[in-house]
Amino acid sequence: MDYTVRIKDKVEEKTSDKEELKVQDVLEELELFSGTIVPKINGEIVIEDSLIRDGDEVEFIQIIYGG
Amino acid sequence: MECTKCGSKHVIIQRKESGQALCKKCFIESVDKKVRHTIKKEKFLKKGDKVLVALSGGKDSVVTLEILNSYRERHIIDLCAVTIDEGIAVYRQDGVEIAKAHAKRLGIPHKVVTFKESFGMDLDEIMAYDKHRGSCTYCGVFRRWIINRSARDFGATKIATGHNLDDESEAILMNYLEGNTENMAKIGPKTESKSDMFRVKVKPLREIPEKEVGLYALAKGLDVHLAGCPYAHESFRIQVGNIIKDLSTEHPTIRFSLLKGFDKIRLVLREELAHEYEYERCEICGEPASNRLCRACTFLEELEHNNEDL
Repeated sequence: MDYTVRIKDKVEEKTSDKEELKVQDVLEELELFSGTIVPKINGEIVIEDSLIRDGDEVEFIQIIYGG
Repeated sequence: MECTKCGSKHVIIQRKESGQALCKKCFIESVDKKVRHTIKKEKFLKKGDKVLVALSGGKDSVVTLEILNSYRERHIIDLCAVTIDEGIAVYRQDGVEIAKAHAKRLGIPHKVVTFKESFGMDLDEIMAYDKHRGSCTYCGVFRRWIINRSARDFGATKIATGHNLDDESEAILMNYLEGNTENMAKIGPKTESKSDMFRVKVKPLREIPEKEVGLYALAKGLDVHLAGCPYAHESFRIQVGNIIKDLSTEHPTIRFSLLKGFDKIRLVLREELAHEYEYERCEICGEPASNRLCRACTFLEELEHNNEDL
């Protein structure tokens, strides 16, 4: 499965072999803390449990800074 | 997962502290309702108030302005706003522009006040000195000075700030860890003073977690300045915030319980420990001061004195 991760202006193409990939899995892979981030899939706000599908664009918006 | 309230499949938040899952519409309604409840419970507003919003352009102040504007639209209060430009290169200007745009969009009287015009130097210049007290100390004192003066200039009766649940819980723990009982007796939902030169300060978002304030702004499509202050890493507050954040992972209700517990004892603390200062006027700027000089002028004099050989 191919998907894209966008953080601010940085866009990265990713591939996963997992059958079921959740937003939380990507957050953990990127070592991002979910408490400071709002995730979007294809422009819509989602939760950490949301599933990523082939071709999706996952965006992480950091809303809390510091620490 | 479905929205606990309406059954919609487009959930945007799952609240760990309650297990509640909400769609965009129900989440926005839930935050609006909670803020209205805080405003009523704490008697923040009365009909005819003119409220000055300290509007940085960040999520907290923009959401505060947005929610208070619903009271303005119902002709309960009037609003005005001030944005402070501390003079932090690369960081502040975006927020100032966003703040201007929101004030213009809502038709709210607004002004931008700089540290430079108020104190003769900006924060970057202060931080370039060899001897200083750390950025957040100056920033807090100087911003309060500007906000208070602006409130009087606008003829405001109240000042609303965007302090959220994270800010409040950090302030409580920080003051406790520092043994600062004087501050413990002062902090709370509302700040009032005997001096008629100070305006009452209120915090409508004090029961809303910081993440939810950000989510609310994004869910409503509000343009907000989402950048971190380059000086923030220096603060003790951030260290305390990190302790609470770590604890929150295993104990998601900890910020709520910290605030609720403090709210139960703060009136007793105030009665036992609060000092009622007699305010005179600062000899230099004329603002209220419990000593010869106000805190802002004390800092300015100290900066000049400590760095005069440079």
